[in-house]
Amino acid sequence: MQKHTISAIICLAGALVAAAIAGASFLAMRKPDLIVRGPGVTDVKMLSDWFPGLKGTPGDTEVYILKGADDGASMLVLGGTHPNEPAGHIAAIMLIENAQPKSGTLYVIPRANASGFTANDPQEGAPQSFTIQTPNGPRVFRYGSRATNPIHQWPDPNVYIHASSGQTLSGSETRNLNRGYPGRPDGTLTERVCYGIVQLIKKENVTITVDLHEASPEYPVINAIVAHPKAMQLASDMVLGLEMQDIKISLEPSPVNLRGLTHRELGDFTDTLPVLMETANASQGRLRGRTDEALVLTGKDKWYVRAEKLGRLYVPYDEKGHPLEERVGRHVTAISELMNSWNLEHPEKPLEFEGLPGYEDFLTKGIGVFLLPLPAKN
Amino acid sequence: MFYIYLAILAIVLALTVWVLFDTKKLSLQVTAAMVIVPLLLRLLMIK
Repeated sequence: MQKHTISAIICLAGALVAAAIAGASFLAMRKPDLIVRGPGVTDVKMLSDWFPGLKGTPGDTEVYILKGADDGASMLVLGGTHPNEPAGHIAAIMLIENAQPKSGTLYVIPRANASGFTANDPQEGAPQSFTIQTPNGPRVFRYGSRATNPIHQWPDPNVYIHASSGQTLSGSETRNLNRGYPGRPDGTLTERVCYGIVQLIKKENVTITVDLHEASPEYPVINAIVAHPKAMQLASDMVLGLEMQDIKISLEPSPVNLRGLTHRELGDFTDTLPVLMETANASQGRLRGRTDEALVLTGKDKWYVRAEKLGRLYVPYDEKGHPLEERVGRHVTAISELMNSWNLEHPEKPLEFEGLPGYEDFLTKGIGVFLLPLPAKN
Repeated sequence: MFYIYLAILAIVLALTVWVLFDTKKLSLQVTAAMVIVPLLLRLLMIK
């Protein structure tokens, strides 16, 4: 055998070993986080129960239902629309594991873009997961991609054309769940997930829909709630409620010309009152330094502190960062305030839940104490 | 479109393996081996 053939075989073997190691790591991301059914969960369904076209696809995802003993209004909470925005995902899990319904129904989708949790965004250096310590041991959660896994929807077009408006965006936005509403039953996987969520809202006559997000500290819409015009009164009341707790939040109207987003399309195409909320997540920002679990959990980043001093940010930023406790606390407290605001205006059709931790609870006790123990392995 | 892209990928992968065995230059062999990794992961629809 010639010398260069031997070296070729060695190189090929090395490539196969590298591919096997990397492949095992990537495949491990497809195993979903464990979420514990809290005391208020009355049923768990799949999104395909409302849109069978999703059944058996990577876009199908769990819908946790918390139905109170008394009739009332209903709320849908979307976590994980963008799986690289962990506060939305964790806040949804907080509702599932802690909320106890009295009146009305809460629908929670913690992994709205389930496919996005199975991959990372390339060239971002983001961790594949992060760990939250609890009194019952560590709980591990996926840190995914902003968009649907390209393995599940590939290739991207050069230009993404939003189906119902003709709006054009860059091709990769075709996998962005929050650009695909109201979705299409025969569209891409991302559009079918959007369509499934719209079907849930329509068939269950969901009163309020909350889409939980995070944003880069240099992004103008941050620590904010974005509301469709018909949800503006509700959102205004909520902002007042948060201000009374000394939680600063801005109120933004849903832009008429920015299409495909929950706060626009769910309001236009269904009867629900849609709002979207943003907190400050350094781990998805462009100005960040080292990107690891610590950044996800603490939000501490010296480059953002420097950017703040240069006046480049839209959110206060100091050495304390913006920890996950604060960001999840903002989301959960805002949801509680949305319910309070609704109940003030509609006492005949209330939405009452107990057991939700308050903002100060998160800041003083952390997140871990509000996560339930995982079931013992058999 | 999916299958067209997959076919292109398979052809590029086959050509890369061919280069790996055809060239006598070690640096080119190592480069080809590195290129094979992402192509293989996409061909198997892993990443």
